[in-house]
Amino acid sequence: MFIVWKNIYIFFLLLVTIFVGCKKISTDNNTQVVIAIPSDIERINPLFSYSVNEGNISELLFLSLVKHSWDDKTGDIKTEPMLANSWEWNSDSSAITLELRNDVHWSDGVLVTIDDVIFSFDVYSDPVVESYLYGSFKCFYTNNDNHIIAERTFEKISETKLKINFAPGSTPSLFTLDFPIVPKHVFDKMPRKEIATAKENFSPVTSGPFTLEKWEKNQAIIIKENPKSFLHKDGNVKRIIFKVIPDYNARLTQLKNGEVDLAEYLKPEDVNGLKNTGSLVVTSLKGREYDYLGWNNLDPVQFKKNHKIVPNKLFGSAKVRQALSMAINRNEILSEYLQGYGELANSPISPIFKNAIDEKLQPYVFDLAKVKTLLAEEGWIDKDQNGILEKNGVEFNFTLTISSNNPRRIFAATVFKNTFKQLGIEMNIEQLELGMLIDRINNKSVDAWMASWIIPIPLDLKFSWYSNLATTPMNFPSYQNKELDALLDKLETKISWQQKNEIYKKIEAILYRDQPVTFLYWIDNIVAYNKKIKNIEVTPLGTVHHCWLWQ
Amino acid sequence: MKSSALFLSLIKRLTTSVFVLFLTVSFLFVLVRIAPGDPSQKFLSPNLSPQLVERVKSSFQLDKQIHEQYISFLKNALTGDFGVSYSFHRPVNEVIAEVLPFTILFSLSAFILQLIGGLLFAVLAFRYHQKFWDKFLSRGSLFLYAVPSFVSGLFFVYLFSVQLQIFPSSGIKTVGTLENNYFFLLLDYAHHLFLPVLVLSLTGLPVYFKYFRENFEENQNKLFTLYLRANGISERKILFSHLIPNSLNSIIAYAGVDLGILFSGALITEVIFSLPGMGRLAVGAILQRDYPLIIGCTLTAGVLIILTSLLADLIRLKIDKRLIKGLLN
Repeated sequence: MFIVWKNIYIFFLLLVTIFVGCKKISTDNNTQVVIAIPSDIERINPLFSYSVNEGNISELLFLSLVKHSWDDKTGDIKTEPMLANSWEWNSDSSAITLELRNDVHWSDGVLVTIDDVIFSFDVYSDPVVESYLYGSFKCFYTNNDNHIIAERTFEKISETKLKINFAPGSTPSLFTLDFPIVPKHVFDKMPRKEIATAKENFSPVTSGPFTLEKWEKNQAIIIKENPKSFLHKDGNVKRIIFKVIPDYNARLTQLKNGEVDLAEYLKPEDVNGLKNTGSLVVTSLKGREYDYLGWNNLDPVQFKKNHKIVPNKLFGSAKVRQALSMAINRNEILSEYLQGYGELANSPISPIFKNAIDEKLQPYVFDLAKVKTLLAEEGWIDKDQNGILEKNGVEFNFTLTISSNNPRRIFAATVFKNTFKQLGIEMNIEQLELGMLIDRINNKSVDAWMASWIIPIPLDLKFSWYSNLATTPMNFPSYQNKELDALLDKLETKISWQQKNEIYKKIEAILYRDQPVTFLYWIDNIVAYNKKIKNIEVTPLGTVHHCWLWQ
Repeated sequence: MKSSALFLSLIKRLTTSVFVLFLTVSFLFVLVRIAPGDPSQKFLSPNLSPQLVERVKSSFQLDKQIHEQYISFLKNALTGDFGVSYSFHRPVNEVIAEVLPFTILFSLSAFILQLIGGLLFAVLAFRYHQKFWDKFLSRGSLFLYAVPSFVSGLFFVYLFSVQLQIFPSSGIKTVGTLENNYFFLLLDYAHHLFLPVLVLSLTGLPVYFKYFRENFEENQNKLFTLYLRANGISERKILFSHLIPNSLNSIIAYAGVDLGILFSGALITEVIFSLPGMGRLAVGAILQRDYPLIIGCTLTAGVLIILTSLLADLIRLKIDKRLIKGLLN
């Protein structure tokens, strides 16, 4: 028996020795960067870049006509040439003429031409394709299906010169041209319906500063530098590995170990441990995501019965919503849970848009005495002395629905519940799986909920705050205000940049006053990266943005 | 028992299994569709047009009645087509076929380790009956059984990956290296899979240990053991030639089902070690409301459990032919 155990011991000793040796063989070099991502991407085709990571990877593999970067001084985006060398707007901005580069090739050697550009606009807007940009080409000549009418939109002036005509009355910008161009010679061969499942989505023909080296499904996406690209520069990063690590703790461990060079969405409580490693830089991306407490502005029972819009008995009044916002001690959560990695939110307009916000606007102050006064003014009084406020026989009793497995929101909900109880407001907490929660919010069947909102760049508020609920499905609180609608409509007319910013300030004032939801706090995306990466810029446009410039 | 009777029994058992699978899949088909949430939810985003959601619903056929969807599903399923995954955009069969070999390799390794480990430790405990090793292993196995795999997983990662830096903390191979050398590739796979296999087997090992040990103890007091001992047969021969074979019967029945469950995925271990297995695939499909993939994963798991259970019964039958009536009915 002893011999058996001895053999087993020797076997394991041998195994460990080999593995230690193996570890040394597979050491990474300094010209590659490993980025941790929580889940694999679905396709490598910019037409279907539905997720952030798909967008990031597409941006590195496919060129757009122009590129955008963040100007921190103005708090706005700035446009620079990419596939288009230069451009010229006509006098009334109803058309733009682009001069394209003639030295860009697809990874299979074919030249990138104007035909690829026209094809891209066509295919992105084709309803059959279901691209992530479908329905967003409002500035162009389109048919009833929102499909761009190529004949009216494009004029091929020469092999490198293209004129794009926009629909009358529209307000186009260079941002409407910023999407990756796809190869016509690859996708034109197949029926449009089949592009979504084409094998070319897994082994793409690309044009960007990187090419796909390998995609190990559910493990990693490896891209390598494209020396033929005009963006290529010796000394910059040669290889980027997007490593799929679903478990947060595993991502953290590998970041500390040096197996991973960059990770995002880290927790504030882990920051000190990361800093202590000495090999990591910890920074944060601000102003892209905020948490909010949603109040159902309409009566869910009436809405379910006959889609009738009747103000909610509890949250239908702006004064009550103001009171509830004042009853929430946001600073407590900000300091205890976010540990400074966030700031109080006044409205859906992020502080990163420096010219669009009213800096004089002060956050609602936690003031329980004022809350009681406001609620009493609205008729919410505890007449029967049972500890719960009532009005017209209705008790102030509601359920706050949150997604399960989100410790920050569970913590915040508990803080709110305790405070509301002191005020005579009975709040129950219901935790649901995210899919179920979205379903309930969509159906407008929840009283109140807590969720987060990621803001788009450039700023766009109409899709979530316009009163028409049929055309604005993402107006989840069902807030309706004609004054706001008029301002949102005016933003779509031809007005100056200064006028736009003035309108944004007016919109902010209305939303601040009416509190259709309680805007809680902007949450920083905490990013840690290895000190070996130089020339990295963490801006509101993202961390993995223009990373061909990394050294 | 004649071979024709055995064949008929097998056919009967397989027919019942297919019927059970059909009922399970049909029930699941309806259940996932009436449950809250739908696959178009992920297209509800500030960056996407609301019109896209309607297009997607239509292309997933979610705008049709459930019975229409079901009939269409059955027609396709009969030809072996289980649809295209909403999240992978490839046929479900292809997606499952991609992770299944790894799952089988990973689960089978853990299964063999826990079976052999359980047997070895049971033999050791039996040899030192009521002595230190027996007590130590009995209590130790109880401890191991009580420790959830996410705790042992994180502990092993901390010890072997963070502190000792002997094993990698995730993945099935070193990303992007060692591509052309098959020997190192094999070694790299083993290097990466050592910890996950160990963690996965630790939950099952105490069960097999307990099974074997209890069986040895039970059988050692039976008349045939006493008879062998009275005839001067050595303890070693009694153990290896009589006690172990006699213990196998009930253990194989359990092992058949256990292996099938292991093949269906080991979610926690797969998540901790970032492994591309059936567990992660199935849970991802559920969270994303990827209906065709949910059905595909369920069907695959069902088939594997039925097959491993049948295989276990056939092995038992080989060992003891008296069991045929009970086993194959």
